[in-house]
Amino acid sequence: MTPLSAWLFRPFPVALLALLTACAPASKVVLLPQEGGRPSAVTVTMGQQVNELNRPYQTVAVSPRGSVESGLTTAAEVAEDYPALLRLQPAAGQTFTLHFQTGTAELTPESRALLPTVIETARSRAGGEIIVVGHTDRQGPADTNDRLSLQRANAIRDLLIEQGFQGDRIEPVGRGEREPLVPTDDEVSEPRNRRADIIVR
Amino acid sequence: MSAFRLRHLATTLVLSGGLALGCASAEPTGQRVGTFKQIEGEVWLVRDGVRAPVRSGDPVTEAGRIQTGPGGAASVILKDGTVLTAGPETVMDLSRFQYDSTTQEGNFLLDLLQGSVRVVTGLLAKVNPERFKVQTPTSVVGVRGTDFIVEANPPIEPLHVYLRKHYKDHSRLRR
Repeated sequence: MTPLSAWLFRPFPVALLALLTACAPASKVVLLPQEGGRPSAVTVTMGQQVNELNRPYQTVAVSPRGSVESGLTTAAEVAEDYPALLRLQPAAGQTFTLHFQTGTAELTPESRALLPTVIETARSRAGGEIIVVGHTDRQGPADTNDRLSLQRANAIRDLLIEQGFQGDRIEPVGRGEREPLVPTDDEVSEPRNRRADIIVR
Repeated sequence: MSAFRLRHLATTLVLSGGLALGCASAEPTGQRVGTFKQIEGEVWLVRDGVRAPVRSGDPVTEAGRIQTGPGGAASVILKDGTVLTAGPETVMDLSRFQYDSTTQEGNFLLDLLQGSVRVVTGLLAKVNPERFKVQTPTSVVGVRGTDFIVEANPPIEPLHVYLRKHYKDHSRLRR
């Protein structure tokens, strides 16, 4: 390269880098719309200042010198500024509900027949996992129901492993009597609440 | 000269995770608290001073550092359903993640040292919003059931110097 062209071209990348870095905020927060349009908010503390973002696409940024600036962006700008963050967002989880035969920890035939579909769905996802959430009705003490719900979840976990799904990607959870499908008074036996929810994500 | 500098910068970035490490957590580590989902380009998990490339399905652990290269990006789902998506050239530490799946209570602290992350909060932030925080060296984000992006850009100084500095700051904060 001639000395002239070296002089002309070489400083550019450095200057450009310096310019880009100078423009970039030290940090920036963008509130995105929440799924289903529900209201949401974040509070952002920058130095002494506390800012609340409570409308979609509101932004707040702090410059390298420490000045804080609020703003508004758009879906199109976000897509341009952070393409990877939108592209790699995993799809929403898929839920299946399994029922037990009355008074047992055995799945109904219909529910048992769902398991291959559950496994297939999990395998079709990148890093797919199966979360098994066991539930009980409100009969008996709460801590006993915690254990019972986890036993139910573990029983389904074993079935999934038996059918070939890897155990370290199954998460058994016992929620006890906290999330009844049908709300009841305490100590009420309610078969519809003795169930397991499966989330594939 | 400039080409050399740019290349040097890129090398620094690749090495920095190893240099700025040493983050010993008081809690037992090594347990899976989440799972890597989509992976693009170069993505590493750094733990106990060891940096390893990750693949879809690999576990995320508490006190682990997630790092992406210039063309890298990764999404992660944590046990409570929180979704983290890291953009290119990102360094972030999952400094604290404790979650009781029975009560859905817990603690979450993500330190974004550089780059960008999208956070879609899960069950933990619903039950304990006050214990869910995302930090950058210059800001703290608290939530109320949300989807948001946080970006952090280091000042013009070698990245390993910057990361080391904020590692120290951060360890002081945690005490």
